[in-house]
Amino acid sequence: MADIRDILDIDRCSGAEALKDSILGTSEKLKAKKNVPNNSSRPPKRPEGMARELYALLCIDGKDAPPLLPTDTGVGYKHERAKLGMRKVRPWKWMPFTNPARKDNTVFYHWRRVADEGKEYPFAQFNKQVDILEYTDAEYIQYLKSDDWSREETDHLFDLCQRFDLRFIIIHDRFDAEKYKKRDVEDLKDRYYFISNTLKKVRHTDGTPYHEPKAYDAEHERRRKEQLNKLFSRTPEQMEEEQMLTQELRKIEARKKEREKKAQDLQKLITGTESSTELRKQEKRPPQRKRIQNQLKIRSDSNVNEVVGIKFPDHKASGATTRSSRMRLPANVGQKKTKIIEQKLKELSIELNPIPTEEVCILFNELRSDIIILNEIKNALSTYMLEIQTFKHQYEAYKPEQILQIPDIILKQNEESMDIEKN
Amino acid sequence: MSFFASDFGSRLKGTVISKQIVYGSVAHYLPEKRPDGRTHRWTVFVKPYHNEDLSVFIKKIHFKLHDSYGNCNRTVSKMPYEVSETGWGEFEIVIKIYFQDPVERPVTVYHILKLFHTGPDANDAISANLPVYYENYEEIVFQDPTVMMRNVLMKKPITYVSGEWKHHTDCEKNRIFENLKIETVRKLQEAKRILQKEIDEQKIKLKIAQETLLKFKEEIMRSRKATPATSYLAAITS
Repeated sequence: MADIRDILDIDRCSGAEALKDSILGTSEKLKAKKNVPNNSSRPPKRPEGMARELYALLCIDGKDAPPLLPTDTGVGYKHERAKLGMRKVRPWKWMPFTNPARKDNTVFYHWRRVADEGKEYPFAQFNKQVDILEYTDAEYIQYLKSDDWSREETDHLFDLCQRFDLRFIIIHDRFDAEKYKKRDVEDLKDRYYFISNTLKKVRHTDGTPYHEPKAYDAEHERRRKEQLNKLFSRTPEQMEEEQMLTQELRKIEARKKEREKKAQDLQKLITGTESSTELRKQEKRPPQRKRIQNQLKIRSDSNVNEVVGIKFPDHKASGATTRSSRMRLPANVGQKKTKIIEQKLKELSIELNPIPTEEVCILFNELRSDIIILNEIKNALSTYMLEIQTFKHQYEAYKPEQILQIPDIILKQNEESMDIEKN
Repeated sequence: MSFFASDFGSRLKGTVISKQIVYGSVAHYLPEKRPDGRTHRWTVFVKPYHNEDLSVFIKKIHFKLHDSYGNCNRTVSKMPYEVSETGWGEFEIVIKIYFQDPVERPVTVYHILKLFHTGPDANDAISANLPVYYENYEEIVFQDPTVMMRNVLMKKPITYVSGEWKHHTDCEKNRIFENLKIETVRKLQEAKRILQKEIDEQKIKLKIAQETLLKFKEEIMRSRKATPATSYLAAITS
């Protein structure tokens, strides 16, 4: 405590005395009483650096410092005592009862509130009875005759249905297989639902309320059960194989998607280059090249406007620039592509920095764009070739007696590109 | 000055004016040895391509030399725009061209000072003690110039020197700028034609490859149908 007082810069002597008094209790009450108000009337000095607002929160003149932590006033340390009802106790009584579900009127005894005496056994409501239709002889002869089922067997089935409340598994178990044919659950159900649906349909004409017939497809049920049975009786090896197969399927689908995507890109590339060259040709020399143009048109697809290659900025910003700056490759052209361009330019014996006139500028940019287009096409072609080779090998591994023939023209190309790659 | 007072600084959208210039350097070998080790006298310059006075639209040109020169920032504000110095090494000179209208931002070109002969004829040139000339052609393009800039650029050019205006490069047979322009265009067009042919060839091949791939796929599909799944899987995954 003394430390805190030190920190808060409270007078030490009086504080210490007051503390002692309170600990010692009543013996020095008088002295304490004299000292405490003395102390509290003089609020502690504000420490240096403490914000005024904070200080005001801590020490409002003359009052105790408010607690720094929130206190939850709602819940005390003591739980409230249970509230006991002041009503009269309701008495219980040992009494006899009969269960209406039973037919034999047996009497049992149980504890029950006196107030409930004479009321029906509450669990009797759960004794639900199934409404099973019954057929007359006339109805049977007219509608329900069957080659498979005799009258006696049908009667036996309906008797069992009545007895076991349509619990077909039990009915099946109790079915007299010695006297009649051995039948499975589906047969029994099928016969039952056929009869009850037919009766419903026939009796409906009398003007009684119509009951929705219950659909039952025995064949479907049999298949369903068979399937479940198969699923249940798989061996671990079979399960493993299934897992493996689904994984493979996923892999194949992923590969297929990838291939489709590649093909799409390629299509874009083809149409893109065609449309761009076509556009350029239209601009440059419309009369002489009409024939080629038409050919291109036939080949190119309708979706144009996809220009690949290098997209040079169109320099529409106001201000003075040098012409040569318009021949600078845009920043998105990577080092690899730059290298390719340089090599091709060397091959074509074009200077890397040709004289910057307007015409040269346009031509040079187009040329470099074309170089990239060519390169892209070559790349695409080599991926295609790789795929073709893979397919070929697969096919041959799989059908050794047959060989897929790769056209010579592209086969040669592939070797060339391989050579380039090697170099 | 009233002609641009009304709309000073506003730009003329869609107008493009270009001015041709030549920049470069010439270097002579110094016959006598100097105590500071400098071996060449050189001049770096910016010249008009045609015989005209550039100061009509150029306010000043700033040459930034190598840091080892005392006062390496040289500013020239009238024709001829050139800086002469002596030295022993080649370095890049930054040439910044300021225009009469301060609204137009300056244009920068870079020139690597050439002191030594290079190329196949280097030895002959050295023995003949020819000066090392190095000239670059450049065009300054004014996109949407300001009204003031347009006015000065479109003025009838003032002839700079009487008589013929020649560049040193023009003296070399195969490098006359005008010829070089024509030649470059011709070469580029030729190259484009070659490239186009190659692209067309490749595209045809690509088409064939595509068709082949499809055919192969179908082939495999067809054979797949006839055989159980597991062996197909083995074939695919292998």
